[in-house]
Amino acid sequence: MNNTFLLLRPRLISAINSMRPRNGKHNWPRFFMYGSLGFVFWTGTFIIFYRVLFYFQSIQDFGNILAMKLISMLIIIFFTLLLFSNIINCLSHLYLSQDLPLLHSLPVSSENIFSSRWIISTFDSSWMIVAFSFPVFLSYGLIYKTGFSFYLTFPVTIVFMCLITSALSSILVLFGAKILPAGRIRTIIIVLGVFMTLLLILVLRLIRPEQLVNPDSFASVVLYLNSMQTPDSPLLPTTWITDIIKASLNGEIKNCLFNIALTGTCAFMLIFISNMIARLIYFDGFSKSQTTSKRLFAPVKYKGYNWESLLSFLPRESKAFAVREIRTFFRDSAQWPQLFLIIALIGIYLYNFSVLPLDNLPIKAVYLQNLFSFLNIGLAAFVLTAIVARFVFPSVSREGEAFWIVQAAPVSLKKFLWIKFFLYYVPLIILVEFLVVVSNLLLRVSPFMMFLSTITLFCLVPAVVGMAVGLGAVYADFKSENPAQAATSFGGLLFMVLCFCLISTVVILEAGPVYSIFMADLRGQGISLLQLTWSVISFVFAFLLCLLAIFYPIYLGEKKLRIR
Amino acid sequence: MINLQELTKDYGTVVAVNKLNLSVSAGEIYGFIGPNGAGKTTTIRMMGGILAPTSGKIIIGGLDMAQKPAEAKKLIGFIPDRPFLYEKLTGMEFLQFSADLYNVKRDTFLEKAQKLLQQFDLLDWADELVEAYSHGMKQRLIIASALLHDPQILIIDEPMVGLDPSAVRLVKDILKELAAHQTTVFISTHTLSIAEDLCHRIGLIHKGTLSAQGTLDELKHIANLGEAGLEEVFLTIIKENTFI
Ligand SMILES: Nc1ncnc2c1ncn2[C@@H]1O[C@H](COP(=O)(O)OP(=O)(O)O)[C@@H](O)[C@H]1O
Ligand SMILES: [Mg+2]
Repeated sequence: MNNTFLLLRPRLISAINSMRPRNGKHNWPRFFMYGSLGFVFWTGTFIIFYRVLFYFQSIQDFGNILAMKLISMLIIIFFTLLLFSNIINCLSHLYLSQDLPLLHSLPVSSENIFSSRWIISTFDSSWMIVAFSFPVFLSYGLIYKTGFSFYLTFPVTIVFMCLITSALSSILVLFGAKILPAGRIRTIIIVLGVFMTLLLILVLRLIRPEQLVNPDSFASVVLYLNSMQTPDSPLLPTTWITDIIKASLNGEIKNCLFNIALTGTCAFMLIFISNMIARLIYFDGFSKSQTTSKRLFAPVKYKGYNWESLLSFLPRESKAFAVREIRTFFRDSAQWPQLFLIIALIGIYLYNFSVLPLDNLPIKAVYLQNLFSFLNIGLAAFVLTAIVARFVFPSVSREGEAFWIVQAAPVSLKKFLWIKFFLYYVPLIILVEFLVVVSNLLLRVSPFMMFLSTITLFCLVPAVVGMAVGLGAVYADFKSENPAQAATSFGGLLFMVLCFCLISTVVILEAGPVYSIFMADLRGQGISLLQLTWSVISFVFAFLLCLLAIFYPIYLGEKKLRIR
Repeated sequence: MINLQELTKDYGTVVAVNKLNLSVSAGEIYGFIGPNGAGKTTTIRMMGGILAPTSGKIIIGGLDMAQKPAEAKKLIGFIPDRPFLYEKLTGMEFLQFSADLYNVKRDTFLEKAQKLLQQFDLLDWADELVEAYSHGMKQRLIIASALLHDPQILIIDEPMVGLDPSAVRLVKDILKELAAHQTTVFISTHTLSIAEDLCHRIGLIHKGTLSAQGTLDELKHIANLGEAGLEEVFLTIIKENTFI
């Protein structure tokens, strides 16, 4: 046991050291950024849940049913999320981390290594979900005017839930590593990605959110939800957890205590079992995971022709970078689950437009269609930002320790960054324009809105990509073990906040002129000279803003990389 | 071919290289030796254009590294101390990549690449991903790729770490032959025996400044030692410096 805690020390000490100001640079912008973002999300969650629950209370027959339904859905969602993030964290902490060979060479048992890593992984995968479950349950407590005991039982319950999911995932991962052929352990991530995508599609199909827009079917949706009240299996931990929360909301002490005891014993039993299994098979799996696998697709013998010849129109250096980037990207299996998710996201995005009940809306259809189309510009840009944050922002960091190759090469950093820019810009502009044109066709919007959407996104896409490449270079971390996580680093969050500001500014700048042009069109009048100048100034300003967002961050990034 | 003028690098915490003046002429093999943390890697990274100096100038083949980095880098074959590569490319793909960057003639590339891979005993591994290579194999691949574009200047940081004896012999032979054909070689090393039987001139760097410079005989003279090896010279000069 002592050894386990000894092994945790390096992690603690590095956490403390990372708070120390480095090279005279202070950390307060970082703290401020994380702090304010956390605060916004936290209060946002609280306000939304409080409002929703308050609204539920006002619905006479269904209110309570809906609130309770929401609880059990939330518990299931939290449980699934915890399970997924625990599996991914367990996998990397137990099998993939770079310091593992060193750990295994130390005179400690593999069981000790397992437990210390398990504790870290549990913490890493749970803290965020725990933090955001607080406002949710706080709003329940306030609405149901529970006694003090609720605020004791629910943290305990959440902790037990984290322990159960994390022990379960470690057991799964341990067996996975043991069973899978050598070097194949990363396939767990791919399988998980596919599974998550399918689940997401399934859930969205089952909930049918578009039905809630339609006032006629609202009541029947509630009835439908109610009819789904199949008694949950008493063998599942999620049922016990739901029962604890429900019982303590309703003040049924005995029921509550019984379920807490049940959950707690289950958690500790699972931890015990996972430790036992680890003693038996952890080292085996670890040593297997050290092997590099055969490639999933057999290596192509070197030939003069290939798909690369499609890129032959590019200058030689640019083609070399493009080919390298595409190869390294697709050969990295960690990227694949994300790709599946994006494809699913896009499918759902378009699907939602196709099922909007345009014909039986209470408000005048033409107006609403075009409003949707206008908001769709913003929505598409935000989807773009999410994709870009995940793939383009970390692309400079992905060079990793091999960045010296680029630095030593006779290619200027400016050129290097611009090559990266175009490499991502071309596929993304095609994707985004496709999304917008198809969704506008589904909405049957006016030609003016179609024109406006395509033009606006034509300017926003390079702006967002330029900011990602530039800020990705400014905040590049070449030493990171997992560059994909750059999206949630300080630079990544800053990028997302700035994108959010840019997109909102552009949309707001366009909103006024578009409204006046649209209304004038509806009334069959022309627009006045004043409105015209105002519109032109707004559009020009939005355009200049986009230009600035393309060039300035890349310039900054180049400067930062040069003096590194 | 190489000319360093008042080269300085201040990391903020330490001054790693302090007003270094040094020049190496064509066809010369210059050995750069010094204890750990002396500033060898820092100097070499600045010469390769990987690190910007705090002050001072780097002239490579008459070109200023700060003014014309791309042209200067074209002349250099750079071999760093730790072999970090693109793990997801195969050996051959990596060679193709660097051939494209350094503009190696397309028609001779394949032949040349295969010859180098053969020389470095990597031909069987040409189509395997680099992540499956051992440390020494990665290092051999980097050396092969640095030689691919026939550089006029080779800048090498501790090349022999991780290489097996036959590869060390191979590298030594190649360097000697290249120097005979007017290639300039700048090599930092810990292995004094290599410096002894390879280098025409040796510079000893300690705490960021050049303590002594010259042929082996000249260094022995400086250290006031008669018939001693480089090791004695090294230790004496370092010791005298620490007492000053
Ligand atoms: N990135 C860095 N940041 C701060 N100090 C550094 C960095 N790299 C090296 N140093 C310091 O510079 C000095 C010289 O290091 P280096 O050039 O790597 O030495 P050598 O290669 O001769 O062993 C050392 O004192 C080292 O601590
Ligand atoms: Mg060094």
